[in-house]
Amino acid sequence: MFGTDLTIDQDILSIGSSKHDAKSRPIGSGCLHAPPLDLNPTSFPLAPCPDPASFTRSNFASACGNSDSHQQVKFAKGTTTLAFKFDGGIIVSVDSRSTMGAYIASGTVKKVIEINPFLLGTMAGGAADCSFWERNLGMQCRMYELRNKKRISVASASKLLANTMSSYRGYGLSMGTMITGWDETGPQLYYVDDDGTRLHGRYFSVGSGSTYAYGVLDTYYRPDLTVEEAIDLGKRAIYHACHRDAMSGSINNLYHVTKDGWVKIHAIDVNDMHYEFLEEKANAMSS
Amino acid sequence: MARRYDSSTTTFSPEGRLHQVEYAIEAINNAGTSVGILARDGVVMASERKITSGLLAPAKTSEKTYKLCPHATCTVAGLTADANILIDQARLRAGRYAYQYQEPIPIENLVEHVCNYKQAYTQYGGLRPFGVAFLFAGYDETHGFQLYQSDPSGNYSGWKATVIGANNQAGKSLLKTEYGVKKETDGDEMKTDDPTGGEEIELPDLAEACRLAVKVLNKTMDGAVASPEKLELFTMSLDEEGNCVHKILNAKESGEIIAQVEAETQSAGDT
Amino acid sequence: MGCGHVFCKMYGSRLPNKTPSYPLKQQVVLATDQVNARSILMYQQNLDKIAELSSHSAMGVSGPNCDLVNFSEYISKNLKLYELSNDGLKLSTHAQANFCRGELAKALRKGPFQVNVILGGYDAKVPTGGSLYVMDYLGSCTKANYGAQGYASNFCLSIMDRDWKEGQTEEEAVQIVEKCIRELQMRFLINQSNFIIKVIDKEGLRTLKYGADPADN
Repeated sequence: MFGTDLTIDQDILSIGSSKHDAKSRPIGSGCLHAPPLDLNPTSFPLAPCPDPASFTRSNFASACGNSDSHQQVKFAKGTTTLAFKFDGGIIVSVDSRSTMGAYIASGTVKKVIEINPFLLGTMAGGAADCSFWERNLGMQCRMYELRNKKRISVASASKLLANTMSSYRGYGLSMGTMITGWDETGPQLYYVDDDGTRLHGRYFSVGSGSTYAYGVLDTYYRPDLTVEEAIDLGKRAIYHACHRDAMSGSINNLYHVTKDGWVKIHAIDVNDMHYEFLEEKANAMSS
Repeated sequence: MARRYDSSTTTFSPEGRLHQVEYAIEAINNAGTSVGILARDGVVMASERKITSGLLAPAKTSEKTYKLCPHATCTVAGLTADANILIDQARLRAGRYAYQYQEPIPIENLVEHVCNYKQAYTQYGGLRPFGVAFLFAGYDETHGFQLYQSDPSGNYSGWKATVIGANNQAGKSLLKTEYGVKKETDGDEMKTDDPTGGEEIELPDLAEACRLAVKVLNKTMDGAVASPEKLELFTMSLDEEGNCVHKILNAKESGEIIAQVEAETQSAGDT
Repeated sequence: MGCGHVFCKMYGSRLPNKTPSYPLKQQVVLATDQVNARSILMYQQNLDKIAELSSHSAMGVSGPNCDLVNFSEYISKNLKLYELSNDGLKLSTHAQANFCRGELAKALRKGPFQVNVILGGYDAKVPTGGSLYVMDYLGSCTKANYGAQGYASNFCLSIMDRDWKEGQTEEEAVQIVEKCIRELQMRFLINQSNFIIKVIDKEGLRTLKYGADPADN
């Protein structure tokens, strides 16, 4: 029965003693009821200082807002990612630019993380946090498969990640991700971020360019898109975000998820797209 | 051979038995008797006080009956020292429940908690089972007045009327014939069937239940005539506001009931 | 954060005196917005922030999505566990509210759960039938006839003070809630287009209406 625990081994003779000991809480369980994860992500080494939470918070900022101006460590961020469900499955489309302040650190970042043949995650916010925790998620999903002899549902996978995030809340992690895949219930799409938010929806966009991507997506999204139309929409939404958002750009990587798992559709330079769409517009106007 | 399985409480014998637990239950069967009877308007529990020495100072109020919370009380058969530990647990549980929910604990929940605690001692190594059986009387909103019995193994069960301790078999058989049977019924109406077997037996009122409890104790105490010093009578009922009233009868009150019972049996014997 | 909430309770016919045998007609109306937003972006507007606790009780929760989900799951699953371990016996709304309050207070020094809660339920055994408890993340809890939390309370409390009366019907109570929603949409800076309204009465919990279907994902 909950409330007053009946545990026998240790305290059977210490009548009336309270079992709740704040010190026994594992480090890294930011919230009171941290999930007891088997593959203990709480074993992540923390900064060796008296208050790791405030240390990380003051040196790393979360993905939200421009609260990182004072940071000691500026790390790679600035992104546009999007994913949407439609009748033909799911489209996941992302850019590939990584910036550190005004400096473009890389133009070839893989922002779609292939968790397993049926699960994709996207990367926005801190690149290190995203890849670390999504690989950690991949490991937990594999362990689930081995234990239960079936694939994990997207709902469960995203909940595992959300639980990890909420146990590290306030520790300055930076992650905004979409977990997508095809499970027994069909195509599924979840949004999970560093403050533990987990949303189930038809389409999401995350990152500094997400408002631009949403503009295109909200206007042209329909559930009954054909696969070709959907790929085009995913491509264009990223293109327009890259056009307007200085922190997004380089290559557009696009994936299509079906009942047989995910397939990578293309990797196109948004610069080439720019001239392609320009020509298209000119042709449309002249004819 | 059997002795090999006697010493450990937590080891099954080849016959699949836990001897220590069974011995503990057996020890209860020699302890002072307690009888509990569910009434229409309350619960009665009566216990035998074993007087060991005339020099011993008598208990101030009670030695067998313990209030657990405003709506539950228990009586003890067995080792009082063991019982104190369990009573502490029960009071703690009731208090914590009230703290958490701001509401009285359901009786069965309380009983189950005590019994889980007892059970642990039949399973964990190096420990001795509690040599205690309880009768629990209680009231809650959902199930009204209730009576439970528990033994050292951690088993518990709900009863309309039951006896624990010495001579409990004799007490139970008396209850079987007398509980729920109206005194003034005609002979032919009574014969129909076992009164405790049917679902619809008429519960006695508190006064009737008190008399029956004394009667049972009279029988279990091996013919020794009950006296106020040798027994403890407890009643639980509701007042006009619906509050639970616990009462341990004083010598005068229990004396009156004993006298009534004596008068009854004498007149029954006459006819 | 900053989710607006409207909650309101109504009574059916109020009893002249407390007689448990009197037919019970009281109900509770709960309403919340359906929005999840982060910085300048609104991510979703078809959420259901009213968690079912038992067949005859529910709570509206406001706060960051993480705490909102974790807290309402923690409470509802614990109450379900209570039912399972007590032979189907349900806690009264009063006990549920006190349990809930206790958990908020417990979490305050080690978390906390940053959620404000309005919990409503119907008890056949209680003479007044429906009851409503308003609590904040600090662990204070009061029994009330109506209440509102978040920014929305600045707009809604006066409306409920003005219009709530003892013995009103379900329709009248829902009308008050709808007046509150209209006021929010007229005066509140943050646009909240969708609200979900649920009713608890002797038949149990039911969803009366919503702006967008929470199941539509």
